[in-house]
Amino acid sequence: MSVAHCGDFRQTYKDDMLVLRTRFIRIAVGAFILLLYVSPLITSNYVTSTMTTIAIAVIGALGINVVTGCTGQISLGQGAFMGVGAFACSYFMRVVHMPFWLAMPMAGLTSAAVGMIFGLPSARLKGLYLAIATLAAQFILQYVFMHLDVVTGGSNGIPSPPPEFGTFAFDGDRSKYYLTITLAIAAVVFTTNLLRSRSGRAFIAVRDHHLSAEIMGVNLFKYRLLSFAVSAFYAGIAGSLWGMYTGYISAEHFTITESINYLAMIIIGGLGSVLGSIFGAIFMTLLPQVLTVGTGALADIFPKIGFLIMSFKDGVFGIIVILFLIFEPDGLAHRWRMIKTYWKLYPFSY
Amino acid sequence: MKRLTASIALAAMTLLAAPLMGQDIVIGNLADITGGTGDVGKPYADGIKAYTDYINANGGINGRRIKLLQQDYAYKIPEALALYKKFKDQDKVIAIQGWGSGDTEALKEQVAKDQIPYWSASYSAHLTDPTKSPYNFFCAPDYSSACRAGLKYIKDNWKEKRKPKVAFIYPDVGYGKAPIPGGKAYALELGFEIVGEENVDLKALEATTQLLNIKKKAPDYAWIGGTKVSTSVILKDAKKLGLTTKFFGNIWSADEGMPKLAAGAEEGYMVVIGAALYGDKVPGMKAIEKFTNGQPQVSHWIRGWVSMMTMCEVLKVAEKNKELNGPGIRKYAEQLKNFDTQGLTAPITYTSTDHRPFMSVILAQFVGGKMVKKATIDLPRKQEWLGL
Repeated sequence: MSVAHCGDFRQTYKDDMLVLRTRFIRIAVGAFILLLYVSPLITSNYVTSTMTTIAIAVIGALGINVVTGCTGQISLGQGAFMGVGAFACSYFMRVVHMPFWLAMPMAGLTSAAVGMIFGLPSARLKGLYLAIATLAAQFILQYVFMHLDVVTGGSNGIPSPPPEFGTFAFDGDRSKYYLTITLAIAAVVFTTNLLRSRSGRAFIAVRDHHLSAEIMGVNLFKYRLLSFAVSAFYAGIAGSLWGMYTGYISAEHFTITESINYLAMIIIGGLGSVLGSIFGAIFMTLLPQVLTVGTGALADIFPKIGFLIMSFKDGVFGIIVILFLIFEPDGLAHRWRMIKTYWKLYPFSY
Repeated sequence: MKRLTASIALAAMTLLAAPLMGQDIVIGNLADITGGTGDVGKPYADGIKAYTDYINANGGINGRRIKLLQQDYAYKIPEALALYKKFKDQDKVIAIQGWGSGDTEALKEQVAKDQIPYWSASYSAHLTDPTKSPYNFFCAPDYSSACRAGLKYIKDNWKEKRKPKVAFIYPDVGYGKAPIPGGKAYALELGFEIVGEENVDLKALEATTQLLNIKKKAPDYAWIGGTKVSTSVILKDAKKLGLTTKFFGNIWSADEGMPKLAAGAEEGYMVVIGAALYGDKVPGMKAIEKFTNGQPQVSHWIRGWVSMMTMCEVLKVAEKNKELNGPGIRKYAEQLKNFDTQGLTAPITYTSTDHRPFMSVILAQFVGGKMVKKATIDLPRKQEWLGL
C-alpha cells in the first residue's frame, strides 16, 4: 500500500492533473475494472443482465448529474430524452441502414439537439419554473412517441435490431454487457475530465452563483444550453443501449416515472458527483429487484398473505428513499468519502 | 447499510432456495398485483394460482407437481424484463404465464428467441399470428374479435331502415388502439356508419369534452375500449349529459364490480366476456365452486384459471412425450384441437399457423346491477382477420 502525503504537496502540473493519486488507488481501480470484465465469466446471466441495466443507468445518471447536479438546472425530462435516443437509434438502423456504431452516436446527437431545444427556456427561467418547462418536454415528447408512428411505431412500439460487428451480432447477455460496460466506463472517464475542464468549471460557477459567474465572463446561456445538450447526449446513448438491451422499444417505458427515477438516482447518490451517479444508479436499480425477490421469498414462506407482502414493496421503496434523504442528505458519495477518511486514519483518527 | 445487508442476505437466501425444487415443473408468472392494472391483475393472478393448487392436489402433471413462481412486476417494464431474465436463467422456467400488453409486447421478441411459451392476458390480435409471435398464446377472444362480435350482435338486432351509427371511444395506448382498425373495417362491411372517434385516457377522471362531441354526432352505439375505471367515468358522464347512445365494450372494460363504480349508469351496458361467469351451470364450474368454497370470483379470475388449465393440458401431453421444454410445449400446444375447458370457454384450438383459441365471443349485459349473459356470437375463422 502506498501512502499519500498528509498535506497538499503537488509540485508539477502533471501531479496536479492526476485523477487517481496514489498507487494503491490506481491498483484498486484497475482491479475493479478487471473484475467488471471478468464477472460475466464467473456469474450467472441474470447477474450479468442486471449489471447491464446498472451500466445503462450509470450513463443516464451521469447525464442528468451534469445538468442538474453540476449546472443546477433541474431537469424532469431525462426519461423522454432517453426515449428520443432509443427511437432515433432504431430508426437510423432500420430505415437509414446505418450500423449501430454510427447510429448510436447519431442518436446521441439527435437527443442532444432535442435537449437543447427544450433547454432554451433556461435562458429566462430558473429553479422550479425551469423544472416545469422540462416537465413539458417530457409530456410533449411522450405524445410524439405515441403518435409519430413512422419512427416510433406508435403505441405498439418497434423492434430494435442488435448491433453487429462483421458477422458477430451482439445479441447475447454477455456481449451486450461488455459493450455497455465499456461505454459506461468511457462515460465515467469523460465526465470526470469534463468537470475539471473550462466548461465543467463554468457549469459549477453557473450553479453556485449565476450573477458572479456572469460577471466573471461566463456566458450563462451558452453553458446552460451546453449542459442540457451534454445531458441529453448521455441520455440518448443510454436510450440506444436500452433499446439494444431489450430488443424492443415502446413508448410506455419513457414516462415521467423514468425521469423521476433518474432524478432520485442522483439525489440518493450525490448531486454533482461522478461517483454519486454510479452509486445512485446501482442503488436505484438494485433496490426494486432486491425488494421483489425479498417479498417474493417471504410470500413463498407465508403463502396465505403472499400478495399482501408483495403490495408492501412500493411502500418499503418509498420509506427507504425518505430515510436516505433524512440520514444521508448529501448522498451515498458523501458516505463513501466518510468511510474512506475513517480508514485513512484508522486507528488513530485524532 | 444494515438495511441493505439484510435485503442482500434475503436475496441470497432465495437464490440458494431455487435449485432445491427437483422434479417439480417450474412455471413463471409475471403478475401485476400492485401496479396500474392491479385491480384486474390480482384476481387474474389469483385464478392462475388457484388452478395450480387445484392441479397439484389432483395428481399434478402426470404425477409431477407444478412450482409456480408468482412475481409482481407492478406493470413496470424494466421490472418485467429483470424478472424474465431471472425466470429464464436462474429458475429455468419452461413456460410463463404473463399479464398485460406492457410485459407481453416487451418480451415478445425475447420469448421467441429463447423459445419460452408465453400465455398472456393481453389479447391483441397481432399476438395470434405465429409468423410474428410464435411463442405467444392466450385463451380468450382477441380484442378485434371482441369488437367485431359486438358490432355483429348490434347489426343482427337492428330493426330500422337507416344505417346504424357507431362511434369508437378508446384510450390512446396499445390495448385501446389494437381492435380499432379491424373493428372499423368490419363496421363498414356490415353497413354501419362510423360517425366519431374519441380518446379517453385510462386514468381519466372525466370525459365531458369527448362525450359532448359524441352527443353532437348522436351515434346509436359507441364502443368503449378502456378499462373498468375509465369505462365507469364514460358511462357516468354520458348519463349526466343525457346521451341516448348505447354503449358496448371490450373484455377489460367491465366486470362484476362495475355497478359499484358506475352506480347505476352501467344499466344496459354490453360487455364482452371471455369465459363463463361464476355460478354458471357448466361442468367446469363445479371444481371452481368447490375450490373457492362458494365465494364468487370475477370473470378475470376464471380466465386466469382457464389459462392455467390450458397450459397444464399442454404440459401433460409434452410430459408424456418427454418433450417438456419450450419447443416441445409449443409443438403440442399447436396440436391442441378442440380442448374442452368443461364449458368454461369455447373449445380451444391452436395450430402452427393460427393461434386464435376460438372464434366464439360471449356478450353480457348489465341488468338491474347484475352482469348477465346476453348472447354468444360465433364469428367465422377468416384468414384475413389473423393478426388484425
